[in-house]
Amino acid sequence: MKKYLAIFKISFAQEFAYRLNFIMWRLRNVMQIFLIFFLWNAVFTDPTRVVFGYDRGKILTYVFGILIMKAIVLSARTIEVAGEISSGDLTNFLLKPVNYFKYWFSRDLSSKALNLGFAASEALILYLILRPPFFLQTNPWLIVAFVISLAIAVVLFFGLLFLSNLIAFWMPEQGWSAQFLIIVIFTDFLSGGVFPLDIFPLVVQKILYTLPFPYLLFFPLQIYLGKIPVTQVWGGIMIACAWTLILLAGLKFVWNRGIRKYEAVGR
Amino acid sequence: MKNLRKYLKVWWMMSKNSFIQVLINKFGAGVFLTGKILRFVFFMTFIVFLLKGTQNLAGYSLSQTVFFFLTFNLVDIVSQFLFREVYRFRPLIVSGGFDLVLTKPISPLFRSLMGGADILDFITIPPLIVAIVILARGLNPTAISAFFYILLLLNGLLLATAFHIMVISMGIITFEIDHTIMIYRDLTNLGRFPIDIYAQPLRGILTYLIPVGIMITLPAKALMGLVSYQGVLVSLAIGVLALYVAKRFWGIALKRYTSASS
Repeated sequence: MKKYLAIFKISFAQEFAYRLNFIMWRLRNVMQIFLIFFLWNAVFTDPTRVVFGYDRGKILTYVFGILIMKAIVLSARTIEVAGEISSGDLTNFLLKPVNYFKYWFSRDLSSKALNLGFAASEALILYLILRPPFFLQTNPWLIVAFVISLAIAVVLFFGLLFLSNLIAFWMPEQGWSAQFLIIVIFTDFLSGGVFPLDIFPLVVQKILYTLPFPYLLFFPLQIYLGKIPVTQVWGGIMIACAWTLILLAGLKFVWNRGIRKYEAVGR
Repeated sequence: MKNLRKYLKVWWMMSKNSFIQVLINKFGAGVFLTGKILRFVFFMTFIVFLLKGTQNLAGYSLSQTVFFFLTFNLVDIVSQFLFREVYRFRPLIVSGGFDLVLTKPISPLFRSLMGGADILDFITIPPLIVAIVILARGLNPTAISAFFYILLLLNGLLLATAFHIMVISMGIITFEIDHTIMIYRDLTNLGRFPIDIYAQPLRGILTYLIPVGIMITLPAKALMGLVSYQGVLVSLAIGVLALYVAKRFWGIALKRYTSASS
């Protein structure tokens, strides 16, 4: 545990090595929020309007929630794994007395901590500038369920991201392409990161709920907003848990196959 | 004229090499193209369902909102197709490899901007144009509105050129390209929807300071007959001015190139 805490601290310090890069990255996140915020603001010019089950307060809470949730769930360093496999740098870790998965999870947590700190400050500044109405959840059960679903989402994304990196064992030059498709395209859209998924017809929503993506951002936010009946919340959490276990088992299986294929090219 | 022919020939040679480079990695190219198409489809689906639920967006109907979105895509994709080399400019500056560009008998600006056209973007341009033409006909534009649309689209590309020149010029001075170009992309992304949805002062900034509105929203509005002659003239003047300023900035940046690492 002590060594992973040290990895957490070192990784946290490393994030500050390229400060301008980090600030620019955060600036980009804020600009993306601008688009979504003003889009929904235009839809809800009439404060009494209810569209897709959202009123003005709930939809703008969703927008700000996405900023925070992305920092917690989607901030990760694990994206670098594919590069380590294709460059042969993975060998260094195989020789060290560290668990490779715990190593990257520790690094992910440090990235999440830093991004969360910035996202919270940005949300506060944006709040002071834009003064949107906010929805505050007061039901303690829903808050507990929200926190649990959030914790599951963090592990679920770790499994998904790590798994998509492992393609580099078989196709060393293609790590980025799997990440682009699975993480940038599917995760961003199908997790509710760009728009809430309940604008779709019910049948499409049901199909989406059978995939792991909605459990990353959309489902936890729906719990927070009280848009899912309490009776269905735990069922959803169970599905998210099942997906997490499937992905982690898949990760272990693919890793074991990949490591046999690994040739430490370049070393 | 002779010079133009020479540059066209050089551009074609560089583009051909760039196309071959991309097509060597067929799997990666296929995945990337699939991702781009999916992103477009997802966003389009979102707009359709959103407008079905809300009936209009800032007073624009579904077909008008889709038209704004398609126009955004056209300007965005054409500029990416032409200026993809900008995304590869940083290593040249950091390594000092830009020296080799400076010694060649062609304009270093031309080489840095247009040295590697992107075939994956090129593939998506024809279907996009077809979609725009079909949708535009449904909006019943007059001949003059259609003319203004094309004129302002070209002006939008002029502004995109100016932005890209600014980005590589800043790259020479600060060694930073990747985030600057992505911030430019994020800013233009604000033009996915008509800039009428933004509140002041953001709308003003997007119209005059960082003229995303002139690049994307105005051409689409012109087709809908919502732009006056004066508006067209002012937009063209801003386009030419932006290109002039960008060219001057490039000159200043070039003088500050230190040839580091070489």
